[in-house]
Amino acid sequence: MNWLPVIGLLLGFALFYFMPLQLPSDYAPYLSLATLSGLDSILGGIRAGIEGKFHVDVFISGFIFNTLLAAMLAYLGDQIGVDLFLAAVVTLGGRMFLNLSLIRRYYLTQWTLSRQRDAERT
Amino acid sequence: MNLNVFLSGIRNNPWVTPVTVMALVLGALLAVSLKTQQSIRSTSLPSNRFSGLAAAYRDQQEQLKMANEEISKLRERTTQYENEMASASEKAKLLNNALQEAKFLAGLTPVEGPGIEVVLQDSKKRPPANSPIDIENYIIHDSDLQRVVNELHAAGAEAVAINGQRIIATTAIRCVGPSIQVNGIALSSPYVIQAIGAPETLLGAMNLPQGVLADIQAIDPNMAKVTKKNNIQIPAYTGSLVFRYAKPVATASGNVQGGEESSAK
Repeated sequence: MNWLPVIGLLLGFALFYFMPLQLPSDYAPYLSLATLSGLDSILGGIRAGIEGKFHVDVFISGFIFNTLLAAMLAYLGDQIGVDLFLAAVVTLGGRMFLNLSLIRRYYLTQWTLSRQRDAERT
Repeated sequence: MNLNVFLSGIRNNPWVTPVTVMALVLGALLAVSLKTQQSIRSTSLPSNRFSGLAAAYRDQQEQLKMANEEISKLRERTTQYENEMASASEKAKLLNNALQEAKFLAGLTPVEGPGIEVVLQDSKKRPPANSPIDIENYIIHDSDLQRVVNELHAAGAEAVAINGQRIIATTAIRCVGPSIQVNGIALSSPYVIQAIGAPETLLGAMNLPQGVLADIQAIDPNMAKVTKKNNIQIPAYTGSLVFRYAKPVATASGNVQGGEESSAK
């Protein structure tokens, strides 16, 4: 099990949480959506890593582009009066569930296997 | 957890380092997002509750309107009862006449008669770019309404109402955020001020050179319109009539007089 990403997350969170940085509340929905998209990208990256299909360029560009796209989509939706916000939330939400379940399954299998190995050893 | 765990992770998996870097960015995003949401929650309403609150507000206004109608209906019935009781004796009739006169003066009875109607509304125009005139001048303010009402009374108006709110002795006209409250009821542009009195006199008072409307009309003539009316109906005051502090001064003879005698007691 690899804990480095989790530690990175906590570090980034702590760093910015205690910084006196604040966005105007008008941008809050876009920021939220960008955060959601970033979360999705991270989970997707972990999944790709587990499956051995990880490419750094795809991951980094995907993270940046998806984040900006999600925020821009929400902004566009606000401008033309359609809740495009929801489309992003549904898509990202669905994908996150899928990725999370795959990650969970992988580590669960690993854990079961290591337990079996331990049992065989003793 | 020793350092070896991390290092072995990096060696085995090429994805760990980029994901960690991006997780750092995500953490930052999460932190800023969370902080922004917290500040929204502490200072204002979440935007997804606006529609529900707007509906509740409309409901309340509807109920308020119905309650006000009920009040005016009940007060009219009181007047009827007073008149019926007065027919019993000559004394009662005299008393009732005085009572009805007082109620009329207090604005507790709906009235009708000739007069004028002044419509004040926010200008649809905006000040031209680089203009020294402030945008504030394009909006009707509480002070505009106060000055018009004051001028109407000075010109002999006997009953005045703004958007159906009767002006009585204790009426306040004040600015509350984007709207103007009259009798504690929030009104918004256009403001229709109805006044019963001698139409020509009232009209003249409104159109005085350098008068109350001159400044407004200099900005935009559409902001103030005055029309003569043959018959205006002004509703009764429907607000509270409870006096908690002021009491009539009682004198030995029972007449209501100035305060000197009572303070000597």
